[in-house]
Amino acid sequence: MAKNKLPVFPSETLIHKITHLMHDGMEARTSGEFEIPPALGDARWTDELILSTWHMAATGTLPEKLNYKTGDSNGGFDRLDFKMLEEEQWLKHSEDIKTSIPLNRRGDHRKKLSPAIPIYGGGMSYGSVSVNVMMSRAIHAKNWNTYMSTGEGGYPEELYECRDHVITQVATGLFGVEEKSIQAAPIVEFKYAQGAKPGLGGHLLASKAGEEVAKMRGSVPFVSLFSPFPFHSTYSVEDHSKHIDWVQTINPDALISVKVSTPHDVDMVAVGSYYAGAHIIHLDGGFGGTGAAPEIAKKNIAMPIELAVPKVHKFLIKEGIRENVTLIASGGIRTADDIAKAIALGADGVVLGTSDLVAMGCTRCSNCEGGPSGRGCPWGLTTTDIELQEWVQQEWAVKRLDNYYTALQWRLRDILRKLGLSDVKELVGRTDLLVYTRSDLE
Amino acid sequence: MQLLNKLEGDQTMIEASDRSRLTMAEFAKESRIRADSYHRYHIDTIETPDRQSLPNRFLVSVGKFGLAKLLISEVFEYWGKWDVVFARPCTYGVFSGPVGGFSPRPEKCVGCLRCTIEHPGFVTITPNPALESLGDSYMNSKIISTIDEEARKGTVPVRGQGYRGRFGGPGWDEMFTDMSEIVRPSRDGIHGRELISTIVDIGSKPMRLQFDSEGGLVSAGPKMMSIQVPFVFDSPAGSVMTPRLAKIWKMAAEQVDTLALISGDMVASNNLASPSVVPIISLDSYETANSFKNGTRMVQLDEWGASEYASMVSSNPDLMISVRMTFEEGWQDQLSEMIDAGVSVIHFVANNHGVADGGRFIMDIIIEAHEMLIKSGVRDKVTLLHSGGVVAADHLPKAIICGLDAVGLDLPLLVAIQARLSGDTSSREDYKAKLPRRFNDKWACQRIVNLTGSWRDQMLEILGAMGIREVRRLRGEMGRAMWCSHLEEEAFSEIEGFIGGGI
Repeated sequence: MAKNKLPVFPSETLIHKITHLMHDGMEARTSGEFEIPPALGDARWTDELILSTWHMAATGTLPEKLNYKTGDSNGGFDRLDFKMLEEEQWLKHSEDIKTSIPLNRRGDHRKKLSPAIPIYGGGMSYGSVSVNVMMSRAIHAKNWNTYMSTGEGGYPEELYECRDHVITQVATGLFGVEEKSIQAAPIVEFKYAQGAKPGLGGHLLASKAGEEVAKMRGSVPFVSLFSPFPFHSTYSVEDHSKHIDWVQTINPDALISVKVSTPHDVDMVAVGSYYAGAHIIHLDGGFGGTGAAPEIAKKNIAMPIELAVPKVHKFLIKEGIRENVTLIASGGIRTADDIAKAIALGADGVVLGTSDLVAMGCTRCSNCEGGPSGRGCPWGLTTTDIELQEWVQQEWAVKRLDNYYTALQWRLRDILRKLGLSDVKELVGRTDLLVYTRSDLE
Repeated sequence: MQLLNKLEGDQTMIEASDRSRLTMAEFAKESRIRADSYHRYHIDTIETPDRQSLPNRFLVSVGKFGLAKLLISEVFEYWGKWDVVFARPCTYGVFSGPVGGFSPRPEKCVGCLRCTIEHPGFVTITPNPALESLGDSYMNSKIISTIDEEARKGTVPVRGQGYRGRFGGPGWDEMFTDMSEIVRPSRDGIHGRELISTIVDIGSKPMRLQFDSEGGLVSAGPKMMSIQVPFVFDSPAGSVMTPRLAKIWKMAAEQVDTLALISGDMVASNNLASPSVVPIISLDSYETANSFKNGTRMVQLDEWGASEYASMVSSNPDLMISVRMTFEEGWQDQLSEMIDAGVSVIHFVANNHGVADGGRFIMDIIIEAHEMLIKSGVRDKVTLLHSGGVVAADHLPKAIICGLDAVGLDLPLLVAIQARLSGDTSSREDYKAKLPRRFNDKWACQRIVNLTGSWRDQMLEILGAMGIREVRRLRGEMGRAMWCSHLEEEAFSEIEGFIGGGI
């Protein structure tokens, strides 16, 4: 800790003061009343992408003067664009343009889940984020008839009120995995790997593993937690199948999602996961978010999601099983345009994590792991500090996320209608509707 | 009883033939001693504070009038609730000085931007141009800041949030390393109970053993030595390297168990000869090769000379002789000639941006050299080292994947001891380095040891993710690497407007 003074639960007045300063400040920056902060943004998440996300979260609409479509990474999504039809061929913008996708395409007896949008929330564990943030995402998922994942940190009691929209993650450390939380889940997600740190397991630094977090995880307070890698009981597809049998015994209705990273043989991994019983293959690309990861792992290990999705999509088609499995992409998906591009490259839908945090005020300062203060995120997002976590009030955060998804859905429909498509499912694998741009050569 | 006394006395191991005579308790004790005598290789890192700190990451500007106005209005609004009035928008202490925001402490700013978002009217946070101007287009301020942190802490840098940079290349960024979803040493074991070896062999292995009719070995055995890490400490520019730095290079190399490559003249005139020091000698002074003594295991010729090399080998049969070579036009022929002459350790050199052979990046050149030797069936006869362009932790495993056995480090070591580089830093000779005004050798040695500890641990992360248990097996493992341009071809070739990966 930078200060000797221990954090205390803040008074209502203090919460009121801080949250209003934060909210008013975000609005002032996005409205153009003040200049764009010179230290904001990076090549992946530019200053304009962050501010446009704040604008969408505040208003539910797209900004007029900010680039809300692409970053400045000079590759992948940032070089792809759509081959829109001539304006007279556009469909009318309406709610009739379908954005729902089925998650169970195996045709088995398990739940037939269809989120209203091709998006659900990625895993962020209790410990990496606060209960306030988890609950905000869960209530928002309920409002939107979609889902969010617990991440690997257990299932806080509060989440049960949204149980039909909470995915229980089973990751390599099995932190907080209980029969009760498996039984509650509409989807059980096996996390084999995470895009930001492929092959390295989860990582929660000591300063964030406080007493409540440790209790939930069955660990010792203020001791760093490294999830082992890999699952120590899984060395083959058959072993994975055994895991699925185990879950089926506890919860026969739950769908099974398998979250993997994007190595060279990701296509083979996807096929193996399908034959082991997965309903959802969830690919997490190398540019994905994290609460803490070795810097060397980010980007250097495994491939970006833009390159993995078409590889897997084509291989699933070749194997004749594409129609039987849902392919979900995550790890570096920032905007509605990214979502549509990922789907055009072959995904059925996407998972968002960092975008949710940005909508709630994140500036991507990279101090989620604790930072020099040891207290975690100063915005109250990726922290369990009893004072800081109160800067994210549930009612406000849910509204931000609801607004943000309204804008995302609006833009997704906007893209679909300009491509002449009336259903997002028609966009899957339509690389013929994309164009590769080279603004630097123009 | 005699055996037990031996155990309790000098604790030397008992011969296997005697072990059957031990009682169960003695046997257990002896086993314990055996177990305790195993020392797994480890680099002892110790947090080592700065002597010449880098400029702050951010500049913090607070309008005093705006701040005063805010305080006055809050005093009235929250009268009596002083915790509310004085609640500061910074958890890092930027505004925690005696007069708060009236005299901010920018050295504590981490760029969360909460203050400037909350108070856009009078607080501005700006990236510090003094930091951003450090380095050059290749070894930029981000790399310098990272090395600085690694040398200070000796740990693997860990941060929240995902990747922040460009999509793919150029240079080493063109490569992604592979990982395995299920089969590997488990990560909890990488830095703990499971061993991933980072030992590399320097020298030559015979392609086969030859025996006479009596079954006696007639061919020479391997002529090599092992170092514990796949990097050596190379000599920086001649104008930068001083006897003091050479001594520090040597101390650090001995501590890490690697090699320090230092000019022969400096080794001789400062009594630096040691098993961990490799004197670099010019063709003119090749006859001094046997003069260094004190356990010197290898010397290095600074350029190729067939007759000089032959003479050195014949007059120094127990000394390993390595040769430096640059990638100039026709380097392939020179490499073949060196291999034919029996050179067992070849040290490639490119400029500090990793560029050689008329503008090619070393990644491609190393692959070409490695594959050329494989095709000739002589790859295991030679050790390939390389200096130039390896300046970050991720460059190290990537260079080895391309076919190197080990890498030479020079600029990163200077940055580790907080030297400020200037001049033409792309050149190996035409740059300058300003060292901290005051530092002691122990401090500098520890900074270098910390850097190597951090880089080794980061390499273990890469090896662990790939499921490879020793760095020797990483050499040339191009099947476990992915090139962004190839992946782009595979993913985007059907898309209109795509004109080729990596272009």
